[in-house]
Amino acid sequence: MIMFDRRLLQSFGWSLFLMTLAFAALSLMNLYSASYQTGLGYFKKQAMWVCIGIFAMIVVSFLNNKLIKQYALYIYGFSLLLLLFVLVFGKEVSGSRSWITIGSFATIQPSELAKIPIILAIARFYDNDYEGVPYGLLDLIKPVLLTALPLTLVMLQPDLGTALTMVLISGSMILFMGVEKKLIFLVLAVVIGFSYPAWRFFLKPYQKDRIKTFLEPSKDPLDSGYNAIQSQIAVGSGGFMGKGFMSGSQTQLRFIPAQQTDFAFSVLAEEWGFLGGFMALLLYFMIILWILDTASRAKDKFSVLTCFGIAAMYFWHVVVNVGMVIGLLPIAGVPLMLLSYGGSSSLTALIGIGVVLGIRMRKFPIQGPAVELR
Amino acid sequence: MQDFRNRLVIATVILGIAFLGLVSRLWFLQVLKADEFEAFSRDNRIRIERVPASRGRILDRYGRELVVNRPSFDVYVLPEDVDDMPALSVNLSRVLNEDPAKIVQKIKQASRRNRFKPALVAQDINRDQLAYIEARRSSLPGLTIEVNNLRQYPHGVMGASFLGYIGKVSEAELLANPELSSNGLVGKTGVEKTWEQSLRGKDGFTQKVTDALGREVKSNLFQKDLVNRQSVPGNDVVMSVDIDLQKAAEDALGEEFGAIIAVNVRNGEVLALASKPSFDPADFVKGIDSKTWSKLMNDKDFPLVSRATQGLYAPGSVFKMVPAAAAMKEGAIHPDTLVHCPGYYRLGSHVYRCWKRGGHGWMNMREAIVQSCDVYFYKLADKLGIDRISRYMNFFGFGSPTGIGIEERAGVAPSREWKLEKFKKPWYKGETIVSAIGQGYVSVTPLQIVMMTAAIANGGTLLTPNLVIKEVAFSGETRLNNVPPKGELPVDKVTLALIRDAMTGVVNGPGGTGHGARLENVTVAGKTGTAQVVSLDSQSSDKAHKDHAWFTSFAPAETPEIAVTVLIEHGGKGGAVAAPIAKKIIETYFQLKKERKANDNV
Repeated sequence: MIMFDRRLLQSFGWSLFLMTLAFAALSLMNLYSASYQTGLGYFKKQAMWVCIGIFAMIVVSFLNNKLIKQYALYIYGFSLLLLLFVLVFGKEVSGSRSWITIGSFATIQPSELAKIPIILAIARFYDNDYEGVPYGLLDLIKPVLLTALPLTLVMLQPDLGTALTMVLISGSMILFMGVEKKLIFLVLAVVIGFSYPAWRFFLKPYQKDRIKTFLEPSKDPLDSGYNAIQSQIAVGSGGFMGKGFMSGSQTQLRFIPAQQTDFAFSVLAEEWGFLGGFMALLLYFMIILWILDTASRAKDKFSVLTCFGIAAMYFWHVVVNVGMVIGLLPIAGVPLMLLSYGGSSSLTALIGIGVVLGIRMRKFPIQGPAVELR
Repeated sequence: MQDFRNRLVIATVILGIAFLGLVSRLWFLQVLKADEFEAFSRDNRIRIERVPASRGRILDRYGRELVVNRPSFDVYVLPEDVDDMPALSVNLSRVLNEDPAKIVQKIKQASRRNRFKPALVAQDINRDQLAYIEARRSSLPGLTIEVNNLRQYPHGVMGASFLGYIGKVSEAELLANPELSSNGLVGKTGVEKTWEQSLRGKDGFTQKVTDALGREVKSNLFQKDLVNRQSVPGNDVVMSVDIDLQKAAEDALGEEFGAIIAVNVRNGEVLALASKPSFDPADFVKGIDSKTWSKLMNDKDFPLVSRATQGLYAPGSVFKMVPAAAAMKEGAIHPDTLVHCPGYYRLGSHVYRCWKRGGHGWMNMREAIVQSCDVYFYKLADKLGIDRISRYMNFFGFGSPTGIGIEERAGVAPSREWKLEKFKKPWYKGETIVSAIGQGYVSVTPLQIVMMTAAIANGGTLLTPNLVIKEVAFSGETRLNNVPPKGELPVDKVTLALIRDAMTGVVNGPGGTGHGARLENVTVAGKTGTAQVVSLDSQSSDKAHKDHAWFTSFAPAETPEIAVTVLIEHGGKGGAVAAPIAKKIIETYFQLKKERKANDNV
């Protein structure tokens, strides 16, 4: 039974909704340019996913967040099951078991979809647990475990880009809720202490190459440095005004690898120049700001933290992806929310917005049902 | 909730800083470095394809073709476009007479480098093969035929010794001239090499847009930044050589090893320049295969060495005009002074023999030249001394290159200094004696002898031999190739007149050694020579022990036009072997002249 209150519509986050729709349009346009030469298969699929995503966003926004809080751990548990399922039955694509095929036409990536359940689970944990004092090492066992479980499953696929964003998102949330200062130093010490053995024993050669290449891309311009160099050429050659829609030579001649997915931003920056790139970044900035603003107006800890988690999810995706495209960070397989091709990524991005919209709508305490929908 | 608000403020600040960072990087790439990256992007997508210029032709003095280009139809296969490799290879193997497996291997090898670059499968296919392929073109996707230029020699091996050959550009040539294309052909010797710059023309290029895989992209989108440059065909080089006379010279040489050179005595234009043994320049047109190359390189007859310009020989008696001129000019001997030839000349304890055992008796200078008396020149040399002889050798052009342009050797005009430097030994008087009759250390090229002869004939101007009269550009623009003479001989006209008169006597007078060159309608003047073998290693076959036969001549004796020098390696006596050959050339020259005049009048 869904309770419907007229005030829900009045306080609907139209600006966030419209910004999101604008991004959906931008992503489809960008994808059209990046892929029309090879047939519109990508474009049509993405259009379908965007429609599904917008629908899901609206549906989620009308769900009462109390309901979401109530089911947060079930959602989380279901997400873990999906991750287990993909490990066993997943389709292997270039060495990773990350996709489940649904029917004959669509594939979903449970690791991408797991981000919001993790956010909800951590928010749920703190909602019960938070007393205003910084957390010590032992207090953190639960939230760390909530991250570590899906993280381990994701690393087994392996899908390191997603694993990285998961760590960044839940790390941000844990930091936001406060930890003891000495714990921060301890974590830093452990990270530094383990980075050498990790480099030595854990990272695969191609991952080491990526890091080495990031430090000096011109050393290996044909293999691992190729993506970084081509992407920067595309962005840089776009200049201030850009080369125009469907006129980016690097894009159209396919010099940029994965230009629909991880490198979507370089297509945008080449064809629309600094102006376009700046506008897109500004739009992201405003969306995240809007989400943080929603967090600051929320009435309960769960809502605050959920909003913050979704803001962190956007933030890290933008920083890591754009940073990689413009040569500030090493190449990691992290898609750009709302802009990259990919059903699961789009769905996650839009559902995230839906959750925030739902929280925003309910910033006023709702007094009794005005309309009852059956 | 208040503490959350503060933390959200901090989060917002971090957000702002991060976005500022991204935006400034974007500004750096897209505004500050935009031009640099635009250049990278251009290099990324634009491939330059060379459009080779067609090489200029080489023509004879009357514009007849010596070296031309012909189209070569070359079969290429674009690996990417082949959809049925077995069918293609079987089809091709049938028409090209080649193993299908070998064809597949060729294509596979090339496709490993680049699938989108056509692989050369067969070069220079014939008309039947072309017709067969053209007829089946539509059923053979991936197959293309390109037309390239190949050198062609309408007269076969004729003139190969000076035309030279072409070959693949070497590393050194590429370094010296960056304009060259690394897989092009370049003149390696002869006229092809010396006039390379003119013959080559200027390659053009077309730019093509390619995608990340190197495939050409036919989209109009990026065509606007493409630049094309038309190639400029190479100049035609018009030689001074007359094909007819050249043919006569090569025919006259027959199977003998040696050289014949005919020059215009007034301007140094080379009318014929034959050298044997020679090679077939056609072997080189597609890039010579290593087997043929090593066969040519290791041939003990040195077919790649032009006898006319690079062969070094003792000149023997054809050289006697040099000490004769020197002696008269220097006043060492009066032309009328009589010298007795008993058949030998004694210097110290050593006896130098005249070629005529019984001796010539009393000789003045004219008679000494006519009868080629050695003793007269021994005595003359003794009086002159090597210093003066050597100076006059230099005046006549010996010991230094003539400047003909193609490969030549300088030879040796020996002097005290030369010997000291070369052997660290002083000069001996006896060496002066033999130098005067063109033996000992003296070594010359046939080209130097003909230029000496021309200088005597034209009244004392030592000319630079001229192989190329002019260049004609594709546009029709003509550039004359004037070569300045090397200088005037410091010998007075009377002296030269006397030498000419003596040379006339050699051919026409009593006792002359060059009667074999006598002609009915034209007075030929000449000088015979029989040189002991000093150069070019002799194996112990009978032939190799024989002397080199020389004859140098000019005609008409009264108003000289042409000088002809003949050298036959191991030919024996110059008068008997070389003189009749010179006669044929001179005869042909005047015959041709008469025919041309008749044709002009018609």
